[in-house]
Amino acid sequence: MPSSNLPRRIAAVDGVSCCLVMHIFIFAVTFSLASFWTTYARAQVQAQGFAVERFYPAAPGGGWMVMDELNMRGRLGGVVAISSGYAYKPLQLTASDGSQHLSVIKHQSFADVGVAVTHENLRFYLNLTSPLIIKGQSGSLGAYQFTDPDVSVGRIPDLISDARVGFDARLFGEYNSPLRFGLGAQLMIPNGIRSDYDTDGKFRGMLRALFAGDTGMLTTAAQLGVHIRTLNDAPTPGSPRGSELLFGIAAGPKFAVTRDKRIRAIIGPELYGETAFKSFLGSTTTALEGLITGRIESTTEQDSQLRVKLSTGRGLHQQFGAPEWRVVFGVEMFDWYE
Amino acid sequence: MILELAGEPAAESAQCLAGCVIRQHAIGRDLRGLAAAVLVFLPATARAQVTAAPRPDEQFDVMNLLSHNGLHDIKDESWNAYGQFTWISSYKAPFSARYTNLNNGINTSSLSTNGEHSFTGTFTVFLGVRLWSGAEAYYVPEVISERPLSNLKGLGAVQNFELQKGGTETPQIYRSRSYLRQTIGLGGKRVVKDSDPMQLGTVVDSRRLVLTAGSFSILDFLDKNTFSGDLRRQFTNLAFMTYNAYDFGSDARGYSWGGVAELYYDDWALRYGRITPPKNPNALEQEFRIYKLYGDQIELEHKHQLFGQAGAVRVLGYRNRENIGRFDDAVAAHQADPTKNATTCTSYNYGSTNVNAPDLCWVRRPNIKMGIGLNLEQHITDDIGVFFRGMISDGQTEVDAYFSTDRSVSFGALSNGTVWHRPADITGIGAGLGWISKAHANYLRAGGIDGFIGDGNINQAMESVVEAFYNVNVITSVWLGADYQRITNPAFNADRGPVNIFSGRVHAEF
Repeated sequence: MPSSNLPRRIAAVDGVSCCLVMHIFIFAVTFSLASFWTTYARAQVQAQGFAVERFYPAAPGGGWMVMDELNMRGRLGGVVAISSGYAYKPLQLTASDGSQHLSVIKHQSFADVGVAVTHENLRFYLNLTSPLIIKGQSGSLGAYQFTDPDVSVGRIPDLISDARVGFDARLFGEYNSPLRFGLGAQLMIPNGIRSDYDTDGKFRGMLRALFAGDTGMLTTAAQLGVHIRTLNDAPTPGSPRGSELLFGIAAGPKFAVTRDKRIRAIIGPELYGETAFKSFLGSTTTALEGLITGRIESTTEQDSQLRVKLSTGRGLHQQFGAPEWRVVFGVEMFDWYE
Repeated sequence: MILELAGEPAAESAQCLAGCVIRQHAIGRDLRGLAAAVLVFLPATARAQVTAAPRPDEQFDVMNLLSHNGLHDIKDESWNAYGQFTWISSYKAPFSARYTNLNNGINTSSLSTNGEHSFTGTFTVFLGVRLWSGAEAYYVPEVISERPLSNLKGLGAVQNFELQKGGTETPQIYRSRSYLRQTIGLGGKRVVKDSDPMQLGTVVDSRRLVLTAGSFSILDFLDKNTFSGDLRRQFTNLAFMTYNAYDFGSDARGYSWGGVAELYYDDWALRYGRITPPKNPNALEQEFRIYKLYGDQIELEHKHQLFGQAGAVRVLGYRNRENIGRFDDAVAAHQADPTKNATTCTSYNYGSTNVNAPDLCWVRRPNIKMGIGLNLEQHITDDIGVFFRGMISDGQTEVDAYFSTDRSVSFGALSNGTVWHRPADITGIGAGLGWISKAHANYLRAGGIDGFIGDGNINQAMESVVEAFYNVNVITSVWLGADYQRITNPAFNADRGPVNIFSGRVHAEF
């Protein structure tokens, strides 16, 4: 019974054919998806992280929050400085077409302890910063995958990020003179984990020219320098591009807040930022921040002094680590022997 | 693991104890100006709090230097800064054992039978500042580089107290302590507190309440012992740092957050502290729900004079409520369901690859662990002192933050070199004995491991360490030391050892 077999055979052939086609189709689709996925996955580059903090507190006793008054004096002096601050969205990335935003670091808080020893016009200092919170969002942006850090006092209770050791020398001008000029150098010793966005994992350094002056009620300070940074993670968005130019300026009036003039206040703006030499003043490689800094301090020349500082401000060019806004509080205790 | 002890009254005794530093040479009076400034910036002393002696006025350190040059009031300090550096290098000679790591796998919890080299290097800066009357703030950053023996596994009494869990050879900077202290005077006699690391020079009432809050080592305040506590200048084995069975809450480095209240009433002192435990046993992450999971400790101290020589008696009790597992529960869970073994853990575990072993990961929940201990110290002469510590812990739960020992005793003697005309040298000999509970041994015998030990089997026995050392004061505040330890029944297992460990030490204070 061929006829009776034929349909079965045809049916069988058709069945095989059908299965083959189906399998080939499934295989092709799977292969294509897998290939696409693999390619896509391969294209996703994991961002490694870096020291995202752009707020470098002034040397202990420096006066301003970021700028330096260069008012070292006395045969021997000592300063203890404690500051703490919070920055909102210091690392927010935006897709090139503006369609996507990713706050890799959304909340960043720190506590910094600094000590300095001064001798006449010289200052030696050490700053140790403990990140209190570094948290944000994970996600991808273009070809880059970002993993949010999870730093908190609970998770890493004793964390210290890059330690700063510095030396400043006032080369021109005297204490409180109209024009003072000095040079400063800092060494940043790597400590922490790159993926926590608290270190580059490499030594860094800063060389700065420092300017300051007091004329009547007005006090000013400025800096221009180089942040020697060997990490260049280009083209990862928001990442370091190697060494940077540092700049900043501050100015404000001094006025007594008590009748006996033993306590005075100074309030004024501080503008500061940095730009990568490799993309000088580029829109994504330049950061600019503005703070309004107010401080109250003793004017006594005899006893140890206390200075309390408060700053708040925002990123004027919110790129390259400048936050949306920031608030910082600081206390300095200092003393010297003539 | 924990560092130098802070604390208590360096100046409250009038006698020079075995650890005290005797002047080797006077500071040059002509060191001034820049030299002083530069030296101030250098790290300062980890000067041992072991000395209950008056501070040697001319010991070389930054604060003395400044004081001698009229640049600092060391008797009434508004700030101080000290530092220390210690390098300890150890060699463990090969030893024999009937078996090693029967659990197999790469995550061994046995001490290797091969010869091994271990080291630690620490560098510490102690900063203190007076905030207002009676209030002080302390900040102590530290750098450590280390290589433990056998990844810090296989011993109940680790040979070098500086070793930290999770430490690396790459130097790590961390904040060991940052705390506030408020002293409230309640009258009595006036007591001089000498300038020291984590102690501003000042005068306080003999009756006072001292409140401390922040991050610290609980051993900065409790369980101090003149002759067995400052391991940077004394014994190096952990058995001598505190009770080896005192499983005080702390992170993997040995520090905690919390508060301590101390009530001093002349020769008596009562101390209470509540501190944070780790989130997972022996881990760095801290559990800050201190109202729910915590370590409580209370200590009563009395100082006395016996035949004209100073001494002290302390009784300490602790009670922890922590997320830990009971040994019996782990064994029972495995017996009831063998799929709940060491290789199938779905939560925090130590990575055992023994499919036939129970594991504490299955039974961790808030459990109670407690113990009570006795701490004695006594001068025999002005230059020789003896000590004793003994503690019993319940032994039902795993080690959460310190070490595996459930019951411990240590005793020994220290002497300085006055008799042989080297008064700044220090030498000592001591013994530390440790036991584990039956439940602990049953768990280990079944192949279980805890944070430090677990050979896959056990012939339960007392682990003992005998240690002898000699530290030569080579120049002013620098010591070179030689140390020998013999550890029998390592990890409480009579089928292994004994182990011989030879160490050298360099210690400097500024």
